[in-house]
Amino acid sequence: MADLVVLDRRFIARGVERSSALRFMFWLVPWVILVGLGIYAAALCLFYGLNQTNMDNRFAFGMWIYLDLGMIALGAGAFFTGFLVYILKQEDLKPILNSAVVVGLICYSGAVAVLMVDVGQPLRAWFTFWHPNTHSMLTEVTFCITCYLFVLILEYLPVLLRNRQLRKVPSFLVFEHQLHKLVPVLAGLGAFLSFFHQGSLGGLYGVLRGRPFAFRQGFAIWPSTFFLFIISAMAVGPSFLILVTATAEAVTGRKLVQSTVFRKLGRISGILLGVYVALKAIDTLVWLNVTSRAVGFAPWDFYAYKPFGSALLFIEILPLGLLPVFLLTLPMTSKRRGWVLCGAALACSGILLNRFVLTVQTLALPTLPFDEYLQYIPSWQEVATFLGVIAYGVILYSLSYRYLPMFGQSKGVDKNVPVG
Amino acid sequence: MFPWVDGFHWSPNHIIFLTLFAGVVLTIASTIARAVWRTSTDFQTHRATDMCWQLNFKELPEAERTCRHELAGRVSHRTCPNAFDCRHCAQYAEFAALPARGGALTGGVSFSNELLYHRGHTWVRPEEDGTCKVGLDQLADHMIGHPDSVQLPANGTGIETSGVAWRMTKNGHEISVRAPMDGTVVATGGNADGWYLRVRPTKPGDLRHLLRGAEVSGWLAAELDRLQVQFSSADAPVCMADGGTLMPELMDAMPAADWDAVLDATFLEG
Repeated sequence: MADLVVLDRRFIARGVERSSALRFMFWLVPWVILVGLGIYAAALCLFYGLNQTNMDNRFAFGMWIYLDLGMIALGAGAFFTGFLVYILKQEDLKPILNSAVVVGLICYSGAVAVLMVDVGQPLRAWFTFWHPNTHSMLTEVTFCITCYLFVLILEYLPVLLRNRQLRKVPSFLVFEHQLHKLVPVLAGLGAFLSFFHQGSLGGLYGVLRGRPFAFRQGFAIWPSTFFLFIISAMAVGPSFLILVTATAEAVTGRKLVQSTVFRKLGRISGILLGVYVALKAIDTLVWLNVTSRAVGFAPWDFYAYKPFGSALLFIEILPLGLLPVFLLTLPMTSKRRGWVLCGAALACSGILLNRFVLTVQTLALPTLPFDEYLQYIPSWQEVATFLGVIAYGVILYSLSYRYLPMFGQSKGVDKNVPVG
Repeated sequence: MFPWVDGFHWSPNHIIFLTLFAGVVLTIASTIARAVWRTSTDFQTHRATDMCWQLNFKELPEAERTCRHELAGRVSHRTCPNAFDCRHCAQYAEFAALPARGGALTGGVSFSNELLYHRGHTWVRPEEDGTCKVGLDQLADHMIGHPDSVQLPANGTGIETSGVAWRMTKNGHEISVRAPMDGTVVATGGNADGWYLRVRPTKPGDLRHLLRGAEVSGWLAAELDRLQVQFSSADAPVCMADGGTLMPELMDAMPAADWDAVLDATFLEG
């Protein structure tokens, strides 16, 4: 045990105080158990097939795809913050950049991992690249997400190599320095890839002609959901970064970034969310009055099945859309940390609700006269895999915070719980 | 999707997609290749040592980057912007002309006015034959005492200022001693006064960056203060200095101290 404590201390940057190794281990224990449970559940699915889940031919998308869509939207803070710092030269956001990269890496690697379980046959994962379905938006999503995951790993590498022990190896230190100088290229590439896969995830639903609840008109080959997904991800990414950082601050009991960074991220998030809500409202009106009527559906047809009443739509647009816009942009509220956090939480909830509605409600609603309204409750294997990915994220973030320069080297002892 | 896979057509959509995908893959691959190539070039052209030192220097706490002129009492406060290499300091002559106010050094360590000191706790003594003798100063010597192993460079090895001169291990800790000057090792040895190198300087007389006189007493006093802080436990009350002296074989005498942090600060690891 004493050796472990010494080893732990050796990897923590000099001058940075973190909680004791023992407390940190206690903090990790429940998350490690959840990861173990998740791996067990995923193994069941991979060995025995998707009969371990409550998905079927009709409900082909379930909790995992919802998790993917949600995580990829929330993880957009990585590409967008990189874009703001390196391309638009918003240098004052630099202190949060490493954290954004870690959050992005967690979200994308978690999404890819769960997608591997969902698709099954991981040994044949390369088939999707070798024999792609050129008519599917998912093909473009697969290519972009895979490439972007590589980009995120490359962006994470300089952060990792700045660990106290790793940087003592001269070749690592020089490589980290040289790679760091090339990060703007990766930031530009990340923005390009994210633009397309975020959009294609939305486009995936918008092109479903057989699902009038999701089908949208648009420009050229892109339905309106293509653009809505891009803007909503850009809007919610900074908000999620605010929430993650505020949570890390609460858990470690120390101030990690200046409040001006929170305010700026909040304002950017609020403005983009405002644009998104406006476009979403227009899109909804066009869809209800033109698109769905053209195929014989009245607006109330979509909201006749509980629990998917019309209240969901209003909740998404008003309290989880318009309200956070005001909280994050109005001078009176955007200067107060509490209101900014509240606005960020509402914004993230709104986008998660949007992804839930598009994934689950789309498939639950009947589209043909002989179709029945379906209900889907995830199996414990699906829930365990979901929780395993969340726990993996907490562990990776905790380890990164403890051993890597996430926010610069803030000095002081963690007061509360022992994440750091 | 790919020309060699069934179903591929030379249609605009396939060609656009293939071009974009190839562009992305090439950008990722070329970024990695460029970083590797630049790293390799830095080592081949001997820029790597200086680069490592510059990067390490940036990571040092501000209190450990104090300018020599502040240590000598010539200026009230100044942080070194030149990675302790005064040969590149535009203001060196201006500050060096000011009178020094060196205080008496207590704490059981002493220094010699005959020697020139590097911040990594090594000294340099120019010899009559044009070579320089390089050794470990008294504070570092008190701290380490008798190392468990010493890895001295072979004769003919080139050393660079603030690069690694030699390595030692003590109680499981690896210690890299930074070179105080540029040159070629012509002899090495160990005697009662400790381990040493004899170095032929690359540019004879180019030792302006090394501390001397009042600067050394100010620097060692600051180092002793740092040690006192590092050795006090986190929950210890604030105490007045007791006027004690540094005992020899400190690493053996205080095994429970955070030696990683102490050694990193002493030998200028970020």
